[in-house]
Amino acid sequence: MTEPTLLWDDVRITYAGGNVAVDGVSLEVERGGTVGLAGESGCGKSTLAMSVLRLLPRSARIEGRIVLQGEDVAGMTWGRLRAVRWTEAAIVFQGAMHSLNPVRQVRHQVAEALALHSTKEFPDSAARLRRVDELLALVDLSPAKGRAYPHELSGGQRQRVMIAMALACDPELIIADEPTTALDVVVQAQVLDVLNGLVRDRELTLVMISHDLAVLAAVCDRIVVMQHGRIVEQGKAQQILTAPTHEHTQELAAAFPIIGDPSSRLVVGRNASPGSPGEAGVSTGSTAEAGRAVLEVRDLTVDFRSRGQHVRAVDHVDLTCGAGEIVALVGQSGSGKTTLARTILGLQKPTSGQVLHEGKPLPHRRGALKAYRRQVQYVLQDPAASLNPKHTVYEAVAEGIRIHGLDDERERVIRALTRAELTPPEKFFAAIPQELSGGQRQRVVIAGALALDPTYLVADEPVASLDASVRGEILALLLQLRRDLGLGALVITHDLGLAWNIADRVVVMHRGRIVENGAVEQVLLDPQHDYTKSLLAVVPSKLGLR
Amino acid sequence: MTTSGQAAIRARRRARFAEVVREIASHPSAVIGAALLLVIIVLALLAPVLMPMDRLDVTQVTARGNESPSGGHWLGTDPSGRDVLGLLLWGSRASLLVGFSATAIAMVIGTTFGMAAGHFTGLTRAVVLRIIDFFLVVPSLVLAIVLSTVLSRGLSTIVIAIGVTSWAQTARVVRAQTLTIETRPYIERSRALGAGDRHIIGKHVLPAVMPLVMANTTLTVGSAIILESTLAFLGLGDPTTFSWGSMLKTALDTGAATAGYWWFVLAPGVAIVIVVLCFTLVGRALEAVLNPTLRAR
Amino acid sequence: MTVIETVPADSEDTRGSSLPRYLALKAGGSLISLALVVVLGFFMFRIIPGDPAINMTRGRQVSPGEVERLRQEMGLDKPLLVQFWRFVRDLFTGDLGTSYVYRRPVTDLIGDYIGPTLLLTGTAALISVALGLWLGQKAAWRRGSWFDKIHTGVALVFWSVPTFWLGLLLLLVFGGGLGWFPTGGMSTAASTDTGMAHVLDVAHHLVLPVVTMVAVIYAQYLMVMRASVLEEMSADYLTTARAKGLREDLVRTRHAVPNALLPTVTLIFLTLGLLIAGTVTVETVFSWPGLGYLTYKGLSAPDFPLVQGTFVVFSAAVIVMNFIADLLYRVLDPRLKSS
Repeated sequence: MTEPTLLWDDVRITYAGGNVAVDGVSLEVERGGTVGLAGESGCGKSTLAMSVLRLLPRSARIEGRIVLQGEDVAGMTWGRLRAVRWTEAAIVFQGAMHSLNPVRQVRHQVAEALALHSTKEFPDSAARLRRVDELLALVDLSPAKGRAYPHELSGGQRQRVMIAMALACDPELIIADEPTTALDVVVQAQVLDVLNGLVRDRELTLVMISHDLAVLAAVCDRIVVMQHGRIVEQGKAQQILTAPTHEHTQELAAAFPIIGDPSSRLVVGRNASPGSPGEAGVSTGSTAEAGRAVLEVRDLTVDFRSRGQHVRAVDHVDLTCGAGEIVALVGQSGSGKTTLARTILGLQKPTSGQVLHEGKPLPHRRGALKAYRRQVQYVLQDPAASLNPKHTVYEAVAEGIRIHGLDDERERVIRALTRAELTPPEKFFAAIPQELSGGQRQRVVIAGALALDPTYLVADEPVASLDASVRGEILALLLQLRRDLGLGALVITHDLGLAWNIADRVVVMHRGRIVENGAVEQVLLDPQHDYTKSLLAVVPSKLGLR
Repeated sequence: MTTSGQAAIRARRRARFAEVVREIASHPSAVIGAALLLVIIVLALLAPVLMPMDRLDVTQVTARGNESPSGGHWLGTDPSGRDVLGLLLWGSRASLLVGFSATAIAMVIGTTFGMAAGHFTGLTRAVVLRIIDFFLVVPSLVLAIVLSTVLSRGLSTIVIAIGVTSWAQTARVVRAQTLTIETRPYIERSRALGAGDRHIIGKHVLPAVMPLVMANTTLTVGSAIILESTLAFLGLGDPTTFSWGSMLKTALDTGAATAGYWWFVLAPGVAIVIVVLCFTLVGRALEAVLNPTLRAR
Repeated sequence: MTVIETVPADSEDTRGSSLPRYLALKAGGSLISLALVVVLGFFMFRIIPGDPAINMTRGRQVSPGEVERLRQEMGLDKPLLVQFWRFVRDLFTGDLGTSYVYRRPVTDLIGDYIGPTLLLTGTAALISVALGLWLGQKAAWRRGSWFDKIHTGVALVFWSVPTFWLGLLLLLVFGGGLGWFPTGGMSTAASTDTGMAHVLDVAHHLVLPVVTMVAVIYAQYLMVMRASVLEEMSADYLTTARAKGLREDLVRTRHAVPNALLPTVTLIFLTLGLLIAGTVTVETVFSWPGLGYLTYKGLSAPDFPLVQGTFVVFSAAVIVMNFIADLLYRVLDPRLKSS
């Protein structure tokens, strides 16, 4: 009889204040099994993972049994627990920047685990450091990288160091907590490859946590979906990804549309779920002819001075956005797409070239620039941060109206909130941002932009910081504004799925240059440039289907 | 602004204020500090009633000099026979007055310079930063000594000397907070909406730094009171008014300190320690409650 | 007085620039500050209301002739710019003028008195740093415990005490009352001891002034270290360390404390310069023959060239220490060391 490597038996975890993070979860992870825990932020998946090594804050109360290799974790003495930590189960933490000690070389941090648990095999520090080099080689890092401090490594390299550290004492079980979150898609694919190879070669037992079903499917055989501290669906990875049955799983899956699937084109949000009629997302069709050019960028270059060196963020870019057109500007982080957006908005001075609005170049004088800013509005990435926490919804929406000294303030605020689907608007007047959900906050930001009757929107990663289930709502709102008001948008994103969801045209940016520009179907289904092809190869939905 | 909106905002401010008061109330030391301070301030205001000035007139006192504490004179008498408790009461007026007014000056200068150094760029920032840096490195005690040596003697000189030398730390804290606020996306959003410097400073930065300035105020009052007593002790105070510092100076000059007249040395010092400690306790609690970066602790 | 701010004011402006550039920037800033101090030191005594000659003789009976002679002696009959030029020129040759009271070059006087000041502040700083840092990290790690409450409480009380008053009390109790320690000076006047006996004699005299200074400054370091460790307490890398199976005291000493020390060490160097200026009160109380005592003497005379000289020295000490703090910050924190 083989006992499971890890067993949660009717586990309930309550934080101080009665907040139930995990609510009656039973889950078995068999030896050599790979299990993915999926869910949105706050669903209890990280709490569940941390409970295995008793790493939760003291205020957390745990009920039920957590059994690791046949031993009840709650019953261990501190000494036994310390011995078990890292030797039987090790964790790859999320956000490796903060999970590594910033003032120690990474090789010493890996060696520390060996010094604690493996003094027999590696009695002196020279032997341990030799072992560290071997471990780093396992994750495709050169020994030289071991001498680096965490800040000198890239995000992907840090995550690999974390993986090497987790492997140090040959644990049976590895728990990976959002190991690829905040990484670029390309780097994410590399890290997943490393993890995949190790699991296969070393027959590890793996529990991986992510909000992204496709990422889990790329590594795990089995996926468990959590919501509000409970398991709502579990099954084979392929089945969860392609034929989800629970509503929440469907929402999670919809956030990573399959590019090329016509059913997710210009129809997004909850309406994308099969069976429910699409109303908000009624297509205006990609045939909507791009009207006159609202925004034009001509031969634009933006340089920065950083570390005493010149960095060219935007390199001779030409771009045209037509009235009512939704253009997706796609690229990895550092490709210069946000700088381009800020320059279009007049928030960043161009080094050379110009931006034209309705055929007229962007003014430099303050007064004229102010008038221009009324026309083209900005929607930022993180709605929680782009609203002053001290201002009410009314004040936030009225801010632009007051700056421009417009009349009928109340009328305008009501109209803007209604258009952003915050109804009835009066109900939201006195609310402050922290009382709203993420989706509502982003609607307030959009309402603040709409209050000035703009001719065009620039949206920088408008859904990147939102949970999967909210993502669809906001994208549907953008489509609806286009339908009702003829409002076009330049949507900046790293997510090709999003471009497939809502854009008419895709512009691919790489190292400050535009490498491909064309209709969505053309660019995403028949990419010409190598960079576009490489981006498409690592799209999460494809990873899962490999 | 609509009336309903205004009412909602007022209600929210009241609620926030109540919340701050509740949170401060959860720091028992701060509550004790605040209560003691209140008592001391009331006593200082009531000094003319409790201890009429003529009873401290050297020509009219009946007691002998350096009497030890007794029923008639709870804290004894000074070398000229004046009641030490009475002197202490009157001294609190000068000490508190100097503390508060010097702090007011320091806060206005510090907040203005701090916000300017955080908000503006280019030459403005370079110049303002240089000035802040300069006042950070010049030892404030020495600068205050020099200022009060050079200017004419008087309470206002002391206030100016302390105010002008105590603002740099505040400016530094305010600048740090301004820089943090300015990186927030809502400032970027505000700019994209067309806002200018005045709007951003007035609507976003100032309200955000005010809590910190408040906390800093209470801490600075304490150090201003110490600085006042130090200046007085060094013989740079205003010879025409009583303050706790000038009492200690008298104690030293008249030999009360070495002759064993401990009550005249102990009383003003203990008074200073208590008042400064109270301000510090309240300031730290305020800081913990109002400074969002410390809140997570 | 605020102790929460633990990062030098302008660190973020220079982050990422190369070391030589950083050095040049910082050195340039220090030189500007020093120049400002010199200018301020000069003009404050000449432009701000009142005539230095009259101010100097305030409260004393002097004839107009005497004042005029004094003015000539001070060079006050020359135009202001000429005076300033002379002052700056003299400064570059190490000449800070001549003291009225001691009738000696101010530079020589400072040379004579700086040793005892360095001995006093050096000893006090060493003890305070060791005590403050150790208690601070302990208190933070056991936040809310009795250890924390007592040590934080005591530190806050000491922090609220005027230095000179504490000195006075110690002097009364342990000097005058109990007679355990001498009441002033640096060595017993009559003694002709040399060698070890002399060292012990000086050490005996050193105790009370050092205790006074330590009491006031260790408290500040304790609060800074405590705040700094608390800042690191919730850091993710501590969870990593615990997950690896480290004992709590190793988590603290190997991971939390090294990180917390970085901003603290910088802040300590920032305050070390201020300590020297702070000796004015302590040295006055204990008649310790150092720069602070000299300043006090200069103030009571009043002896402007002398006060002006010590003002420049005190400010220069802070500026130099700040420069060192900036360097240390850069050298100690690997995040700022760009390859």
